[in-house]
Amino acid sequence: MKTIEWQYLIVSYLFLGGLSAGLFFVSALTELFRNDGDAPKVKIAHIGALLAPWPVMIGCALLVFDLGHWYRFYKLFLHFRWESPMSIGSWLLMFFIGVSILYAYGWIPGSMREAAFERLSGHLQFLRILNRDVSGWRRPLAIVGLPMSVGVAIYTGVLLGAVQSRPFWNTNLVAQLFLFSALSSGCALLILVLAASARKFEMHEFQSLYLLDISFLTLEFFIVVPYVIHGELSAEAVRESLNLVLGGPFTILFWAFFLGLGLLLPWAIEVLEALPLLLRHAQLVPRVDTATVAEAGTAVFILRDPGGQAPSRKLHFSRSWAVAAAVLVLMGGVLVRYIFVFAGQMSAIH
Amino acid sequence: MNRRGFLKLATGGAVGATLLQAEACGMPLRQQKVAKVPAPRLEIPTTCDMCVNKCSLIAIVQGGVVKKLNPNPENPKSRGMLCARGNAGIQQLYDPARIKHPMMRTGERGEGKWKVVSWDEALDFTAQKLLAVKEKYGPQGTLWSSSESFQEQFFRNLGQAFGSPNSVRHPTLCLASVNLAYSLTFGTVPSFDVQNARYIIMSGANRLESFITPDTMDLVASTTDRKARLVYLDPRFTKTAAKADEWYPIRPGTDLAFILAMLNVIIGENRYDKEFVSTYCSGFEQLAEHVKQYSPDWAAEETQISSKHILRVAREFSDAAPRAMYYAGRRSSWYRDDFSMRRGQAILNAIIGNWDRQGGMVPNAKVELGELMFLPWDDPTAPRVDELDRNFPLAAKGDGVYLRLRENVIAGQPYPVKAWMVYKQDPVSGIPDQDKTLQMLRQMDFVGVIDIQMSDTAWFADVILPESTYLERLDPVEMLAGIRPVVVYRQPVVKPLYDTKPLLEIVQGVAKRLNLSQYFDYTMEQWIAEQVKALPMDLPLEYLKKHGVYSSAQFPKYGTTLTPDHRFVTKSGKIELLSRRLQEAGYDPLPIYHPPTQVPEGQFRLVLGRHAFFTHASTTNYPWLNSFSTENTLWIHPKPADSLGIKDSDRIEVASGSGSIRIKARVTPKIRPDCVFMQHGFGKHSPWLRLANSGGSDAQLLETAWDKVSGGAAMHETFVKVRKV
Amino acid sequence: MTNRPKRYALAIDAKKCIDCKACVVACRAENGVPLGKSRNWINEELRGDWPKLMEVFEPEQCHHCEEPACVRVCPTGASYQRPDGVVAINRSECVGCRYCMIACPYDARFFRDDLGVVEKCDLCARRLDRGELPACVETCPSKVRIFGDLNDPTSEIHQILEKRQYRVKKREAGTGPQIYYLL
Repeated sequence: MKTIEWQYLIVSYLFLGGLSAGLFFVSALTELFRNDGDAPKVKIAHIGALLAPWPVMIGCALLVFDLGHWYRFYKLFLHFRWESPMSIGSWLLMFFIGVSILYAYGWIPGSMREAAFERLSGHLQFLRILNRDVSGWRRPLAIVGLPMSVGVAIYTGVLLGAVQSRPFWNTNLVAQLFLFSALSSGCALLILVLAASARKFEMHEFQSLYLLDISFLTLEFFIVVPYVIHGELSAEAVRESLNLVLGGPFTILFWAFFLGLGLLLPWAIEVLEALPLLLRHAQLVPRVDTATVAEAGTAVFILRDPGGQAPSRKLHFSRSWAVAAAVLVLMGGVLVRYIFVFAGQMSAIH
Repeated sequence: MNRRGFLKLATGGAVGATLLQAEACGMPLRQQKVAKVPAPRLEIPTTCDMCVNKCSLIAIVQGGVVKKLNPNPENPKSRGMLCARGNAGIQQLYDPARIKHPMMRTGERGEGKWKVVSWDEALDFTAQKLLAVKEKYGPQGTLWSSSESFQEQFFRNLGQAFGSPNSVRHPTLCLASVNLAYSLTFGTVPSFDVQNARYIIMSGANRLESFITPDTMDLVASTTDRKARLVYLDPRFTKTAAKADEWYPIRPGTDLAFILAMLNVIIGENRYDKEFVSTYCSGFEQLAEHVKQYSPDWAAEETQISSKHILRVAREFSDAAPRAMYYAGRRSSWYRDDFSMRRGQAILNAIIGNWDRQGGMVPNAKVELGELMFLPWDDPTAPRVDELDRNFPLAAKGDGVYLRLRENVIAGQPYPVKAWMVYKQDPVSGIPDQDKTLQMLRQMDFVGVIDIQMSDTAWFADVILPESTYLERLDPVEMLAGIRPVVVYRQPVVKPLYDTKPLLEIVQGVAKRLNLSQYFDYTMEQWIAEQVKALPMDLPLEYLKKHGVYSSAQFPKYGTTLTPDHRFVTKSGKIELLSRRLQEAGYDPLPIYHPPTQVPEGQFRLVLGRHAFFTHASTTNYPWLNSFSTENTLWIHPKPADSLGIKDSDRIEVASGSGSIRIKARVTPKIRPDCVFMQHGFGKHSPWLRLANSGGSDAQLLETAWDKVSGGAAMHETFVKVRKV
Repeated sequence: MTNRPKRYALAIDAKKCIDCKACVVACRAENGVPLGKSRNWINEELRGDWPKLMEVFEPEQCHHCEEPACVRVCPTGASYQRPDGVVAINRSECVGCRYCMIACPYDARFFRDDLGVVEKCDLCARRLDRGELPACVETCPSKVRIFGDLNDPTSEIHQILEKRQYRVKKREAGTGPQIYYLL
């Protein structure tokens, strides 16, 4: 009998797991490949590190409660079965959560840490043994955790992709799709947090996040397109399953909301916002200056002619556009997982 | 650490350890079971009672609980199988809606107010009421209606000993016309050797769904292995139609035309078995003359089957003879002229000489059983209330004609009938024209029901005397006649769960209070002991207890009646193609075709039928079976449905001259456009049969009609109007 | 078939199936399957138009595959395959993640809400160990099902598969199903 067994709890976990993976990845990457004293990059790494453990832990709690016997979840850790993506995933998650908590711990400012332990009273005193400065572990943990975060993001796709009986999923592109969706979700959340915060954050400092996100989104796009095209040229079961998004119940959701609003639109916004940086990287303009905040929440890029003084073009960088793009990407991340989880279970070999 | 802390830790640790231990033992927390030595697993053979085939089964009983019913491979009639209903016998035993104690009503009939009473009180009341009616109206003022069971004879005997001639039984609603037709032709009703046949024609007799018998299994085996060809005539595309080689959606009520045309061809082209006819049959010349008028072209007009097919089938049928058969069927309660059709069948079978031959019809063989001699009573002197002698002189006396009887009782003619004892029957659900049944019921001074569940009839009764179910009962040994006769044994596999009794004890209880004990002064064990004395083995009772069934290897036997000196039990001593008895009783001695009533414009003929997982009206409340059909629907062809604006699953109203019901529509191409079909056993009044309250009751729609000669109910003569609501 | 000492399998002669539901009820009775779910089922297909109609009935249940996807994906090993080929579930180890349900190409598994574990046909393993046939095989009136050890050359199933042509369902799923539908 055909039932949709994995529903909203699983969709949420897949999203949240990917989100944590993306956050960790961006934080670790930024930390490993920055110059000393590059304050914005440090900030990105810092916030990413602190945020990273939480979504996946919430996701795992949801996962455990989705089980038929939630209190038997420990059995997953009594076995390691390399043929089962779920077994691999459980262990991977465990190690990743451990590493990301430790990594986050290394980013808590020393003063805050001291103050918190100071407030411990009575019998909890023994916890003071944990009051250690592990900030020196940041880079090693980033190196160790980076492949783990990739693993966590990819395995959510392998979970689906390894199932031959669901033709909608039966392609290794699903793993890649979920990976880049996760990474871009991580970027997006960071953009959202930084843009929405009241604190002043230098607008040009978004640029690195934008570049990352644009890269991830581009790669994601060039996975979705082959997924559909190649699928349409494959076995009948695959073509039939793709009808779910080509005229079937998930069509509008897939093309308009996920691909359109969740991928292409934020990509376009981010490209426009990062245009000056991109143009400079592409060496199409010789020089880009920035001016400080003219109005609250915007920055102005001024392009100058090579020898000229007068501004030839003004490009606005907007905080609200940043928030919009980030929210759209996050929505897209949730949607792609929703579509895949549900449509996949509806597909079958006939 | 202080003491409190220690206790907390200890209990916490203990609880934790217990949980882990429970998990390790594989016991989920939700069901904490204490492991103990498992009770011994008993395998007890007995006989099923979920339909009339009486298959042998082995009950798996553990700790006094029936766990599973497995087939018993030793019975050639059930061939090591147990159908859906047989498997669901467990639910009959453990049905929470079973009647657990004797009950008497406290409110109005049908109000549903009951009080539990002791057996003494219930039996006292029953006897008192019966005696009161006897006092005022004579013993013939009591009606005794029952359906078949191994103990039914005790109930009937009680009625007779009481002095009432009015017994009415299930055949008048089912096989009366086919039995009478074959009896008058051959002197007996034969079985059909489907296993060895090569060409089988069936009119209805949906063996793949109605009930699972050896014929069912043989039909499937033969047709799928291409050993036999099955031609199936039915206005509905049943499962039998799905497996048949040829299916014709014959115009309802025209099967006789088909048969007469076949006779026309077979006789006209000299394809009949001349030697057989001249040796064993009488009345052939008249038959030959009679069928000249029934040409295939004429039949094609009547049946809406092309004459090309009729011709071909007739020729193929006769070519395959004697391993060819026109299957008689069982439920023949179809049309007012049904008897004639069955006579036509019998004649057709006769002239191709398939009688007592392999692959043809075989008279039933028997295994002799002993009989307990009990005190006989005087036969009732009063005439039957349905005036059989006058209205249906050839009908089986002991079975009665239910619908005629009901008319008379309602009219109070020729005399009043004021008490009604019902055993293992649900007339309110089962008989056409429910309003009339309730009318007859309401005018009774007393209605007593013996049943296992709160049937619709029990719901309207004054007293209910609960019988134990078949898994709780020791029954008389039963001999099932047939091509391979068997003797089956039924023994209790568990003790009665509730305060119920087997029928014999109920009868004895009533008899005592009617001063009729002397006719029932034996126990079931004594009865059985006499029966098994005639069996060939040394310790027959032990044998039956162990095996559950006895069959003799000497069967099947063919040709036992094909001796020159054999005398058939007919007036002429031969197979009567032209029936003298019919002639003398004033009926057509040869079947004459009368076209069925035309379906009025815009209406539909309601036809009935069965499903493999229900037995009539009595099993629709068992969840395992009900799960396959939680309510009945009205099957209607897409074309007329479309013109009435009815879509699949729409709620519709179906109305006839007897009443109307609301039911769900099932739009399907599996039925003739001029017919509709609905399943039996739903739309029940009794709220105890909760799962069967859904849908609609065909009893409310069917109109009163009966076969002219046998009196059997004619249940396909009702026309209905259908509209969307 | 393989290097197993014993390989239980089912051959189904669907032409003989009359959709009487005996197998479904027998399985329910034998294995305590709750209503609303079923370990076995009968696929029905009506073809054609009035009056040229055709209907086929095809019983189905877990195919006890040679390379069962459900066993592969199970994270705790609760789903396992016996040496004789029967794929079974160790209820106490099942955490109820339902990955196996998704991995099965035949949708043969279902979730027991009351027990929190996954369930499916196990060829009545308890009966097999007692030397009996699975309940569905034993009870069938038209003898649709042939059950036995493929590796035993004297077994009915071995012989019939040598004589008759057959197909399996969803071969493309690549799990090596062991229900053989006779043609």
